[in-house]
Amino acid sequence: MPLSKLFRLDKRPSEKTKLGIYIHIPFCRSKCQYCDFYSLGGSREKDLTDLYLQALPLHIREFGARARDYSVDTVYFGGGTPSFFGAEGLVRIFNELQRRFDVQSDAEVTFEANPDSAQSALLQKLHSEGFNRMSLGVQTDNDDLLKKLGRPHNYEQAVTAVRNARNAGFNNISLDLIYGLPGQSFEEWKGTLNHVLELEPEHMSCYGLKVEEGTPLWEYRDCCNLPDEDDQADMYLYACDKLSESGFRQYEISNFAKPGLESKHNLKYWLGGEYLGFGPSAASDFAGKRFTIRADIMDYCEGVLKGGTILSECEDMPSRERAGEYLMLRLRTTHGIDADEYTRRFLLPFRPIRKLLDRFGEMGFVRQDESRYYLTPKGMLISNKILAELLLAQEKSEPLAKKQR
Amino acid sequence: MTDQSKIRNFSIIAHIDHGKSTLADRLLEACNTVELRDMEDQILDSMDLERERGITIKARAVRLNYHAQDGENYVLNLIDTPGHVDFNYEVSRSLTACEGAVLVVDASQGVEAQTLANTYLAIDNDLEVLPVINKIDLPAARPQQIKQEIEDIIGLPAEDAPEISAKNGINIPAVLEMIVRDVPPPEGDPNAPLQALIFDSQYDSYRGVIVYLRVMNGEIRPGMDVTMMATGAQYKVVECGYLHPRGMVPCDCLRAGEVGYLTASIKTIADTRVGDTITGAANPSTEALPGYKTVQPMVFSGVYPADGSKYGDLRDALEKLKLNDASMSYTQENSIALGFGFRCGFLGLLHMEIILERLEREFNLDLITTAPNVVYKVEKINGETLEVYTPLNYPDPMEIQQAYEPFVKANIIAPPDYVGNIMDLCQQRRGEFKDMTYLDQSRVELHYDMPLNEIIYDFFDALKSRTRGYGSLDYEMDGYRPSKLVKLDILLNGELIDALSFILFSESAYARARKICERLKEHIPRQMFEIPVQAAVGGKIIARETIKALRKDVLAKCYGGDITRKKKLLEKQKEGKKRMRSFGTVSVPSEAFMAVLKLDE
Repeated sequence: MPLSKLFRLDKRPSEKTKLGIYIHIPFCRSKCQYCDFYSLGGSREKDLTDLYLQALPLHIREFGARARDYSVDTVYFGGGTPSFFGAEGLVRIFNELQRRFDVQSDAEVTFEANPDSAQSALLQKLHSEGFNRMSLGVQTDNDDLLKKLGRPHNYEQAVTAVRNARNAGFNNISLDLIYGLPGQSFEEWKGTLNHVLELEPEHMSCYGLKVEEGTPLWEYRDCCNLPDEDDQADMYLYACDKLSESGFRQYEISNFAKPGLESKHNLKYWLGGEYLGFGPSAASDFAGKRFTIRADIMDYCEGVLKGGTILSECEDMPSRERAGEYLMLRLRTTHGIDADEYTRRFLLPFRPIRKLLDRFGEMGFVRQDESRYYLTPKGMLISNKILAELLLAQEKSEPLAKKQR
Repeated sequence: MTDQSKIRNFSIIAHIDHGKSTLADRLLEACNTVELRDMEDQILDSMDLERERGITIKARAVRLNYHAQDGENYVLNLIDTPGHVDFNYEVSRSLTACEGAVLVVDASQGVEAQTLANTYLAIDNDLEVLPVINKIDLPAARPQQIKQEIEDIIGLPAEDAPEISAKNGINIPAVLEMIVRDVPPPEGDPNAPLQALIFDSQYDSYRGVIVYLRVMNGEIRPGMDVTMMATGAQYKVVECGYLHPRGMVPCDCLRAGEVGYLTASIKTIADTRVGDTITGAANPSTEALPGYKTVQPMVFSGVYPADGSKYGDLRDALEKLKLNDASMSYTQENSIALGFGFRCGFLGLLHMEIILERLEREFNLDLITTAPNVVYKVEKINGETLEVYTPLNYPDPMEIQQAYEPFVKANIIAPPDYVGNIMDLCQQRRGEFKDMTYLDQSRVELHYDMPLNEIIYDFFDALKSRTRGYGSLDYEMDGYRPSKLVKLDILLNGELIDALSFILFSESAYARARKICERLKEHIPRQMFEIPVQAAVGGKIIARETIKALRKDVLAKCYGGDITRKKKLLEKQKEGKKRMRSFGTVSVPSEAFMAVLKLDE
């Protein structure tokens, strides 16, 4: 065997570890009533965007040097509203990424867009620069509701945006919807979903509205006529049925895709892939560490430009912790968990977990396929409850290695 | 050494909230026993819990040096008494250690149930009772009328009773002068064989048990061998002394008439029972002081660790608490639903709450407590009689010839306007009306015979709410009476949860059962499946509710930035689950066990 092979001196791109890259664009036209992401509503002041476009590339360059052994197979521009930030800025960032990282030519490159800022020119520019997937925030087809939620667009604009994207050459479009909105009935939700399916997206995300503390909606939560638990559950189960009838496969709690068109980037979060996040509030799981950048754009820019600390959290991940995440994240997906893999990777007994899973299986919450277990839509709906039980059983279990001693 | 004629031993007695502890503080202050700057309000109540609840649990004594107007120096021993009916026996022993009692009466509220009960207790112990009218600074104060009330209702001369405000320090010297003048000096022969009354004791982790005592005859010196006459335990006195508010001050000798403490490397408080007599081993007294009895717990409850693996911790904690509180009892108990735990006996519900709170606070335990019950007696068909301390041991109805439950004589005082409400309440609680007397125009005293069981839950709260806080209650045990009792069982998801069973009067069963099912439904969170909640008597279901299945508990979004937060959320949920007890597949939070108790809304 040649020495070079032994020491992996000639590591080819295909042998490199895969890496996902997330870029946070914390700018929006306006802040939605329910939103608790880090973004600055209504501000796109030139000074600030310029500063951001100085800091972000520098940050990318720094990390590029540390990621030589990785090849990037997914890039995701989230926000905020990347489309509102504008094509020029997005392209500049993407170009910097390609310069500093080994971005595969067939990488999945997604950007988030809102209907009011997804103009033809922007879409064409992005497509020509190698962006190949758009995730559009539609949320509902009810214009009144859009207005009440503080969304700066109507449904017609969403329809136009999809048409423009098709014309620009995008053949992988994802649409976001929210169910459980104030005053929304089951029938309305049904109508919305059917209506939106006419746009023939390749991918759908349907999120149950979560009213987060600190958002304006939180203040109104008791008087805004939110659908109750049972209604929400019915809406969710309807969506699962309807989308599966329409040729989508559910691959995560809130995500559905035409075969082969699952979001490769998002799957990394759930299946344990590595990813690097850039920009305030972005999170990374990289080289065994999980860390999060502070949710403050000035802190971020200053930290990067002047060399200060920009992290709010950074944790080493002991195997036990990874074992917990394995359950928690994998069970979000229809890939589910695998008994053999679990035991092999974490050296923990699967028996206590299996006992619970079998019980949940009898109740219709879990399905089994040889050594693989995954949640049914009904199970996904109460996954917090299921996970709490599994994690408790896991916490109590003794490592196998210790037992053998 | 203090001349016996210059000693005054006294207590302060009062209805709750009439200002006993505040007066004690003022007396201490007036005698400069406590420097003002060291003064923390209500020094005598030294346990945290006591201060928070504003009641005195443990009796304590303190020695005041008073320079009286006659130019002489006096030693005043103030023996504080617990202020709750649960601790009646302790009160009576504290009073025995005194020659006089200062009776504090609120200038606006006047004579209340505990005023009467405590006064009678003091008179029974041959104490000189000295009334004091407190809170005269309040706008509603009517001292003249209250004095009249004391003379009319209690029959004590009250014309010269000092009118004071303990809170504002008005007229405190008058109280001290009255004590010197009217409380008789102790009698007792310092040369006779030792007889000392234990009126309290406390466990100290360095010195062992500290015994609070009053020397009746003879003397105590360090190095002396002493015997506890009731328990027979023998010890060598390590230290004796008197009690300064800021600590214990050792001395060479405590003689007849004096109040103080001793330590003797005593390991368990069970050896130093309140009311017992200490005598010298070398020259013992032939008889013990009268009045000793072992206190019997009245109320029993199952106490279980919320986390079954903490059984050992709970046992250790109970052992430690028992060192400090001889009136509590515990025996091991095994419930099918809750596993290993203890059946604990308490003097009353307040006592129980205090112990449970201490277990949780001082020993950091999460507990599940089952419904408290009284001790029932059952005569079986086969002629056997048994005492039932726990519903777990209640015999099958087929085996029962006759069941008996304990009764009390209850004494309620309230303004006449509320008589109707009180009568309704007592009737609901199976009270048997005895008589009613108008103490004066603004006050009625009602006597009822009532099952103790009906009083222990929430009777006092109910009385207060039906009398706008004016009603007061006192009761004493009055033996057993035949009764129709049943055991009510609770089933969750078809499974009998033995720890939720309890014994009650058969005619109350239907209404209670319905309410308990409702309560459980409120307190048990929705779970993965529908849970029927049923109540049954002798296998027959008499009430049912259903807890609907949980349908949605999911985090819709979980991308890179959400993972840490999601982990914390699940961690919380997991901890929540840990605090619940699983019965088969049903998880029940520990609050549910207590929630079923408070049924009066």
